[in-house]
Formats: sequence, structure tokens, C-alpha cells
Amino acid sequence: MTTMTPKRLLLKSLEAVFLVFLFFLIFGPMVGLVLWSVAIRWFWPNALPQEVGLDYWSQALGFQKSLAIGAVSITEAFQTSMIIAVLVVVLTMVIAIPAGYALAKYAVPFRGAILFLFLMPLAFPQQPVFVNLLLTFTRMGLTSTIQGVVLIHLMVSLVFAVWISSAAFKSIPPELEEAARSVGASKMRAFVQITLPLAAPGLLASAVFVFLTSLDEFTGTFFIGLPFISTLPMLLYASSGSNLQFASVIAIVLLIPSILFMVIIERFLRGEHIAGVG
Amino acid sequence: MSSAAETKSELPGQQEKGERFAWTFPLALLLPATVLMLVLYAWPFVASIYRSFLTTEEGLTLANYQKAYELYFRDVLFTLEVAILSTAIAAVLSIAISTYVRLANNRISRYVGFLYRLPIFIPFVVVGQMMRTFLAPHGLLNVFLAQVGLVDLNAPLQLFNIYGLVLSFVWKQAPFMTLIILGGFQMIDDAYIEAARSVGANIYHIIVKVLVPMSRATIAVAVILAFTSTVGTFTLPFMLIGGKVPTTVTVDIAHRVTYFGDYGVANALGTLSYLMVLVTAIYYLRYSVRKGIYEA
Repeated sequence: MTTMTPKRLLLKSLEAVFLVFLFFLIFGPMVGLVLWSVAIRWFWPNALPQEVGLDYWSQALGFQKSLAIGAVSITEAFQTSMIIAVLVVVLTMVIAIPAGYALAKYAVPFRGAILFLFLMPLAFPQQPVFVNLLLTFTRMGLTSTIQGVVLIHLMVSLVFAVWISSAAFKSIPPELEEAARSVGASKMRAFVQITLPLAAPGLLASAVFVFLTSLDEFTGTFFIGLPFISTLPMLLYASSGSNLQFASVIAIVLLIPSILFMVIIERFLRGEHIAGVG
Repeated sequence: MSSAAETKSELPGQQEKGERFAWTFPLALLLPATVLMLVLYAWPFVASIYRSFLTTEEGLTLANYQKAYELYFRDVLFTLEVAILSTAIAAVLSIAISTYVRLANNRISRYVGFLYRLPIFIPFVVVGQMMRTFLAPHGLLNVFLAQVGLVDLNAPLQLFNIYGLVLSFVWKQAPFMTLIILGGFQMIDDAYIEAARSVGANIYHIIVKVLVPMSRATIAVAVILAFTSTVGTFTLPFMLIGGKVPTTVTVDIAHRVTYFGDYGVANALGTLSYLMVLVTAIYYLRYSVRKGIYEA
């Protein structure tokens, strides 16, 4: 055993302080959310709620009817969110998979211009785009409709979906498809039987990511969907001023899939493709 | 962009048919996605700039910018302050976390390497709600600081302003930046770090002389993406400080549109927000288009 020199001791202490600080920084806000979602009575200056229970959870999830002012059930918004998210996943993937494949495997003409178009939403604020789509959508009667919100979510997710699918195809050695072709498989057959199954995990990750993007989308839905299309994020915003407990419950409902996804997706994670989520 | 010229063939017959197919096929695959992006993104993007010069009475003028300047100049500065401050703090923090995970090879550092990622996919609307309860005058942070004796609960820290907003942005952006920067650090061969250590470099020197210079491009991308996202984020400032003065440009845009139906000034503000990120956007687009999209 070597004894610690003062310098080493100082470094170790700094490390410990850094870690404790980091721990509080990451988990402090999350803990607040969980406490509020189960707080039945919590008046300051109490550090912790005086009475806890799952009342607000069971009311929000619709197990228990509540007549309290400001009480909301999230079941309807949950259904709306799910319908929209599923539609968005299907449409986005149908459009993104061919595009991602083309970008990964072919020397496409105007490649630079197309890359530019698909990268622009990451490089510039998107809110002005939503604002101007609001004008167009109003003229076409698409505001406050499911179709309108699906189109907005489709635009927001398409960029990520194309990049992640494209990366999935790119990672497959072209020799495999060529080998299949050389023994007489058609282009289509080589794609369906060789490339697609190999790319499946990446494509699945992409689809789940699109699902999450749609589930969490706020700004576009705020401009295009309100007042009639109320997704979970909209309901969370609406109740956050008046009812902290319900808002906290909804926030946790949205938080759980985000964290689960984070844990599962690790392997496919590439920072640049996920900028500006939410 | 030159590939169109390369694939064009002068040969007749079968060959030409094959060659033409060789580039119409991938274009056909890309067509739906491209058309959608042109209609739902590029067109409204261009329209937002065009409409910023448009007023109902006089046609093309700078009137909207004049009005935006008179009403919201303070908010333009505020938006820049928030974005610069939170990106800078998040950059320092994420370089610290990345260095720790890269250099300390033990169980705790591996936990840190996993836990720091948790906020990455948490949407801004949830971060907003979280921070509303966490940073409130009698929220968890103030209560905690009062327990430690750092804050008097009768005069709690007021955080629904630039401080709380910066803290919230750092909470959300630093993990994301760490993901990118740590990726860069892990590409650096151990040999460089060992070499620096063998000539007596301490941690500070390793960061400043080895890790950061060798991942400059990666760090630049992380900084740019976080900065752009902070300038353009509506949800978090909307939930945290809303219509208070000063607020961010994104909240002003929503205000202009939902209360006044004033698309002219909203678009002038929108165009200003494009200008705020113009330099970083150009760098990022050039870097990404040139480098392709597959390498981080």
C-alpha cells in the first residue's frame, strides 16, 4: 500500500466533489418530478411532502374518477398521441428507408444539394418554418386536424430517420449483396433477403426514435394542432400552470420511454443525428 | 455534386440504358423524401424570409424589422446571452465529463459514462416541467440549499429568469455534447496520452494539449449543434419564463402569431434567429456535406 501524497489527496477530493455535484445535477430535477407526482399535501417549508399517495396517478390514468378542480384524465391525450405516433412511424419509415438506402449505396446526382436539404433543419431554428406552415395549413383546412399534426411530425422526424437508416445500410459491406447477385439473385431479392435483415436492427432503432420524436414533439403541435388536437405534451403544458401533480404525472409518463430508449439504443447512438430532440 | 457528370454516358444501346437507370433509380428512391422536405421545410423556410419584408400596406419594406427592433431588441440580446452562456458552460462541463470517463478507467467512471446519458432523450417539455418544480422559489433546489444553510427560504433564489434558463439548457445540452465529445476523445490513441504523461503532463495539460486540440472538429460540431438548438428552442423558455421581460425571441414569435396574427414581425424575428446561427450553420453544413454524414 502506498500512502497518498497531499497532491493526490487533493485530486481525489476534487474528483469526489465533481461526482457528487454531477449526481445532484443529473438527478435533482428528476427527483423533484417524482416527489410532486405522489405529493398529496406538500406545503413549504417542509423539505418533503407531508402526505404521499398514488391518488393523482390513478386519477390521471383513469382508474379513478375525480371531481377535483383541475383534475385531468390523460387517457384521451394518450390515445391521440399513440394514433399520431404510429401513423408518423409508418409514413416516415416508408419514405426514409428508400432515401437512406439510396444515399448509402449509390452515387446520387445532386448529392451535395440533397444532403444540404436534409441537414438544414439541424442547422437552423425550425420554429419560423412551423409558423409559415401554419399559414398554409390554415388555408388548406389542415390546422387542428390529425392529418396536419402527422404532416408536421413527419417533417420533423424525416431528417433523423433518413440519417439513421442510411447509417444502418452503410454499415453493411456491399460485397454481401454482390455475392447474392453473382449467384443469380435479382436486385430486389438481394435487397430483401440480404441487406434488409442485416440493416433491421438499425432500422428498428430509427423507427423507435421516430416514435419517440412524435410522442414528444411540442413546438409544431403547438402551432398546428391546437386547440383541438391535444397530445400528451400539449396536455402537460396545459396542466402545468394549474395542477403540478397532474403535470408531473404526465411528465413521468413521457420521461420513462425516453430513458428506456436511451438505455436500449446505446449501440446505434451517434450524437449528430439526434440534435435538438424535443 | 459532380457525380451527375460522371455517370452520364455517351455510349449507345444497352450500356446507355443501364447507365441511365443507374442514376434515375436512386433519384426515384430519394424523390418522396426530397419532395416532402422541399414542400414542408424548404418552402416555408424561404417564405419566412420573404414574408419578413412584406407588409400589407406597402409591399416589400423593412417595416417589420423596424418594429421588431423597437419592441424586441432586448429579447434578441437576451436570446444570444442565454445561448452563448449555456453553450459555454455546457461545453466546459461536457469536456470535464468526457475527460473523466476517458482517463479514469474504473467502475465509477463506467457508471458515469452510462448515467450522464439519461437526459439526452428527455424532451424539452418534460425538462421544462421538471425545472418549474425544481427551481421554484420553494422548489426542491431552494429547499435543499436552505437545509444546507446556504439560502434563506424567506428570500429564496429567484430562478425563473436567465439563470434558471441557462441551468435548464445546460442540463439538457451537456449530456448530448458529452456524447459527441467523448466519442472524439475515445478515437484518440492511448499512446498520445501516455506520451504526455511520461514527460510529466498533469490532467490540465492533457486536456489542453492533447484531448481538446486532437478533437477540435468534434467539439466544434457539438458546440454548434447545442448553440443552434438553444437559439431555436421554444418549449423551455416558454414554460420557464413565458411572457416575462426579457424573454427569448422564440417566445416573442409565438406571442406575435397567437395574439396578434402578426406574421410580418414574427418572420422578421424568425429571420433574425437564422442570422444568429448563420456562421455556425454555414460551418456545420460545409463540414457535414464535405465529410459525408457517416463519420462522427
